[in-house]
Amino acid sequence: MIPFRAEDAIHMTVILATLTPLFAFLLIMLGTRARKNLSAGLSLGAIAISFGCSLLLLARLWNVREPLEYSTRWVALNRMEIPFGFLLDPVSLLMLSIVTLICLLVQVYSLGYMAGDPGFSRYYAFMSLFAWAMTSLVLSSSLLQLFIFWELVGLSSYLLIGFWYEKFSATQAGKKAFVMTRAGDVSFLLGLILVLVHVGNPAILEMNSLDSAGLMPSGILTFAALLIFGGIVGKSAQFPLMTWLPDAMEGPTPVSALLHSATMVAAGVYLFARLFPFFALSPTAMGIFLFIGTVSMILASTMAMVARDIKQVWAYSTISQLGFMIMGLAAGGYFAGVFHLTTHAGFKALLFLCSGVFIHTWHTNDIFELGKGGARRLKIPVIALVVAAGALAGLPPFSGFFSKEAILAALALSSHPVWLAAGLLGVFLTAYYAFRVLCILLFPPSAGEEPSGPVGGLAPAPKASRQEGSSRTFIWPLIILVFLTLLLGFFQGPLQHFLLGEGKALLVDHGEQAGWLPFTALFLSLAGVGLAWVEFGRCGAARLGFVERIPFLRELFSQRWYLDHFYHFFVDRIVDRGFSKLFAQNDNRVIDGSIEAVSRGTLEAGRFLAFLQSGMIQYRLLVSFAVMVLLSLYFFYRDSGGF
Amino acid sequence: MIVPFGHVLMLAGMLFLLGVFCTLTRRNLVMIILGVEVMLNAAAIAFVGAALHWQSLEGQAFVLFIMAIAATEVSVGLALIVYAYRRSGSFDPSSCNLLR
Repeated sequence: MIPFRAEDAIHMTVILATLTPLFAFLLIMLGTRARKNLSAGLSLGAIAISFGCSLLLLARLWNVREPLEYSTRWVALNRMEIPFGFLLDPVSLLMLSIVTLICLLVQVYSLGYMAGDPGFSRYYAFMSLFAWAMTSLVLSSSLLQLFIFWELVGLSSYLLIGFWYEKFSATQAGKKAFVMTRAGDVSFLLGLILVLVHVGNPAILEMNSLDSAGLMPSGILTFAALLIFGGIVGKSAQFPLMTWLPDAMEGPTPVSALLHSATMVAAGVYLFARLFPFFALSPTAMGIFLFIGTVSMILASTMAMVARDIKQVWAYSTISQLGFMIMGLAAGGYFAGVFHLTTHAGFKALLFLCSGVFIHTWHTNDIFELGKGGARRLKIPVIALVVAAGALAGLPPFSGFFSKEAILAALALSSHPVWLAAGLLGVFLTAYYAFRVLCILLFPPSAGEEPSGPVGGLAPAPKASRQEGSSRTFIWPLIILVFLTLLLGFFQGPLQHFLLGEGKALLVDHGEQAGWLPFTALFLSLAGVGLAWVEFGRCGAARLGFVERIPFLRELFSQRWYLDHFYHFFVDRIVDRGFSKLFAQNDNRVIDGSIEAVSRGTLEAGRFLAFLQSGMIQYRLLVSFAVMVLLSLYFFYRDSGGF
Repeated sequence: MIVPFGHVLMLAGMLFLLGVFCTLTRRNLVMIILGVEVMLNAAAIAFVGAALHWQSLEGQAFVLFIMAIAATEVSVGLALIVYAYRRSGSFDPSSCNLLR
């Protein structure tokens, strides 16, 4: 542990990287809310500084093998010690760069997207808050500190999802996201306390060292790991708590891009990667994580196959890709999971930002409408969308291909072939739904009326001109992300070296892995693409997916496997009519009843005492005589030592 | 001293009890005042007897005070009774229950 030294350049850079967005938030909220351009400029400047600092750190520490920890003691109880500070190691540095980069691009993009919104300054303030929370989360040196920023991330995403608070559905979605992630966070907190009680120090390095296995019995270790994983499930929208993420679409599209790629949901997987050695101490827990990741991936992919809302498709794909990362991590592929997290951040932000251009231009989320409206005429967004969908589907030159291969390789080494089979199925489904959207957008059915004139009053002329005006802020982030998506895959080697170092403690050896795997995966994703083309793309296609032909499955998938219904049922019947009713009755009968009994008793006693007060002077005299006699008897016998 | 101290106390006690009985049972305000006077005089007898028994003059002094208090008490009490009679038209103590 290195003590704080003010002259330490790295340390100053870290502080600069994390705190500038906070200052931007405070300044905007306190001072510059009325001046839109100044607010946006402050926020952009802050995040640009942050991004620059993180790049500097990345370059400076590229070859540093030992994790750097700058921390100071925050709380010291008798046996417990809670440090507070920064932890710089390859994962956090990589994540920091991704977060700040995506935040920067999204904020630039928002200049155009949010232009003219009455809450423009507020939007940028929240964006800065979000950036601050996420960068601090990434660099947290102890689990408790991480938890604090974890909650702040949840808060700021709530604020941004419910940004258009006049819209009822938006506030509902914000609330849903907040409450559902909170359910996971309770479990996280319990796990944290369990660790704190047993290990006595929530520093991440401390927890990850092998000592914690000695300090905790294995049953408790597994239990704590599962509890902490509950937080990940909530944050990363995994199986039981997955339904908040599709509803989070109610926020502005750039917010979705941020939420889905680098910040909110990525925090969950990041925590998994962060505590990977800790989780790896418990094989049982890892098995359960693998199962949950698989279930979420398959469920979400099937949901995405029937969704008509473009943002919802990408939301489902986020859940499924996060499930994929968790599968990879739980199977022991540390690098694979982190690498997929990195590449996914790039291409998912790209997907959302492209969709944002379409939505901004045509004011609808429905893919069929967008296709008819002529989405294919916006050249650059379409190209970017193709690149991103290719990456999502795992096609070779794009980044998604490489990271998916890594995860599949990790899965192939896992205990049971069923996980690998599920992973391959996921690859197929992903390719299918990604290209389903693409085919619907690019090849509208229009046999006769190609120029899309008569599509229900969506006159494209004025909107096109407006889009023209703000196009530069739209286009540049897209182009940067396209390059990122194209190139990131080829940095697999250096990144692997950076993350794992020389000592290959956590390395899953991909080298002598069966050569058939990449080809199978490629074949499957091509099959998915082909199927999508046959059903939606080619001339005279039925434009009806194979799932949609089976009414039962279509219903099941589009109702999200009835998970929301289940939650409704649960909240309505068990919470509202069960517990709440019980508590209401307790309130009415026990508490109110006892208070009423007390007051009634007082009243009755008063009446009784009033009955004694007859107003007759002789009774009072009688009483005072009697008292005098008794007292004198008492004192007489007491003093004469009698009785 | 011819009369023994015990007899004096006995007399005083009996007088006192008679006064108490009168005060508590008679349904007439004048009789209640009368009972109180009897009790005061019983106390005075006890004081005189005690002064003689212990050869001390304080008892006699007390009796002078008691007589003065009895006189004032009677005058104030009779005034109150006259007032009560004017208000309620009777000497019954149960009719003076405005404070109830």
